[in-house]
Amino acid sequence: MVVNSLTFLWFFLVVMAVYYLCQPKKQVQNIFLLVCSYWFYAQIDVKMTGLLGVLTLAFWLMGHGIGKAIEKEKERQASLLTTLSVAVGIGALFYFKYLDFFIGSFVAAANLIGLHLSWTTLHLVVPVGLSFFTFKLMSYTLDIYHGKIERERNVLDFANYIAFFPTILSGPIDRPKPFLKQLKQSRLFIPDNLMSGFRRVLWGMFMKMCIADRLDLYVSAVWNNYEHHSASSILFASLLYPFQMYADFSGYSEMAIGVALMLGFKVAENFKRPFFTINIAQYWSRWHMTLTSWLTDYVFMPLNIKLRDWGTNGTIAAIMLNMTFIGMWHGADWTFFLFGIYHGLWYIPLMVSGQFFKKTKIKVNSHGWPTSPFVMKMVGNYLVVTFGLMLFHSNNISEFWDVLCRLPQAWNGSLFFDMPTLANAAICSIALIYVDIQEEWFPKKRLYLPTWAERWRWELTVAVEIVAILLFGIFDSNQFIYFQF
Amino acid sequence: MERNEILEKVQDVFREELELDDLELTDETTADDVEEWDSLSHVQLVVALEKAFGIKFTSREILSWDNVGDLVDCIAKK
Repeated sequence: MVVNSLTFLWFFLVVMAVYYLCQPKKQVQNIFLLVCSYWFYAQIDVKMTGLLGVLTLAFWLMGHGIGKAIEKEKERQASLLTTLSVAVGIGALFYFKYLDFFIGSFVAAANLIGLHLSWTTLHLVVPVGLSFFTFKLMSYTLDIYHGKIERERNVLDFANYIAFFPTILSGPIDRPKPFLKQLKQSRLFIPDNLMSGFRRVLWGMFMKMCIADRLDLYVSAVWNNYEHHSASSILFASLLYPFQMYADFSGYSEMAIGVALMLGFKVAENFKRPFFTINIAQYWSRWHMTLTSWLTDYVFMPLNIKLRDWGTNGTIAAIMLNMTFIGMWHGADWTFFLFGIYHGLWYIPLMVSGQFFKKTKIKVNSHGWPTSPFVMKMVGNYLVVTFGLMLFHSNNISEFWDVLCRLPQAWNGSLFFDMPTLANAAICSIALIYVDIQEEWFPKKRLYLPTWAERWRWELTVAVEIVAILLFGIFDSNQFIYFQF
Repeated sequence: MERNEILEKVQDVFREELELDDLELTDETTADDVEEWDSLSHVQLVVALEKAFGIKFTSREILSWDNVGDLVDCIAKK
């Protein structure tokens, strides 16, 4: 069930109606929410619903054990249980997501040195949302161990945190503390939440259906047949791809955040205009923010603390490992491994020059616009990201290499220009860029409306968005890019 | 060393490391209250504090601090 589908709309309308009929009985709301979340997950991956339940129960029990051990000051027991929980989380990820990849890579490496192994891969199906909910599970036990939260005594509340249907498929990866706190309060029908949530859902749909899916028509047409396209077409498609990814994943996040808000939950933000950044460190602090902050807290920080006596070299080692994790989190292929390494390498000059440790603020001129040297740096950073995403988009290393090799050979061909697709995408992209510029540089300014229209601002905006989606949207929808992770 | 003295010394270290001469720390101050105090500068602060007080923190201690008060308590126990 795709979030921007009619099926989801009917599902959600029924959920909302019953959910708010249950108010103010928070426990009834929570039980109903949990049933809905599991039903939603079963519609997408019925076979793995059991796995979700078993892992949830296992982590709740381990969290319970860690909490009790800490209360009784049994440090060793708490540490062992925490290690076990991380091993279970990583083990589940490794088994479903990476085992086939490692078997395949091992067999290929053995073949290279003349050992002909007859091992076969297991062709395992990766449970939908696995990378997202295992991270939530692990953050729960780690936070208990580090004294950030108390163990959750109500297993149903914990299960709700893990399976919350707006975020289970592709995040945002919420942390246990703020989410569990919200489950303890009854969610009342608040029109403001409903209106703000609905606007975010619409905006997300606009980003996904009018920009990402439309750009995908062009980008996929070129990338899937790169051997027949000119260098200029490949470069143009590559330059569009980061923007497509942004519209796709940020659009999904907007919808998830909006749906959650309509149910009375505030979940973490996932994007903050990531292309208005001047280096790779700033970019990652604004792109898929919940993944970056998760890895910062649970991978980078502990590593950096352990290696603190090595100075800058310790930080470089921690960053390289952290970025490799980020790359491999996206998928089991060497392209993602290199994608992580590539990003990690861009941190090194920042660390050596000391820029990484200083917060460089983008300077603006007297009109509030960023000055030209900073604009140039933003363009440069976009190009750095683009090259990384060429790796990300390639099905394997040899495809990436083929594409690179084709670039110097195919300069003579003309630029493939699919006018209707690109014109429609351009009109909608201008709207997104306009909104992003306004939020980034002119947050206090609003689009001028005549006095009579000002009181209808919300209604007018919603109407414009709906008309735009109907006019420019693609309705035989693609999956979201991040569903595969 | 008295708790107040520890807080004062911690404040001096923070001021020097973060280059913020007029930074005022209280027990309730968190990383959210000081823009320059992020995951990177946190480790630099830890190293500087260990040097200033001649102590060594464990990873778990460092990761469990929620605010300056927790940090001061941790130093006081050493």
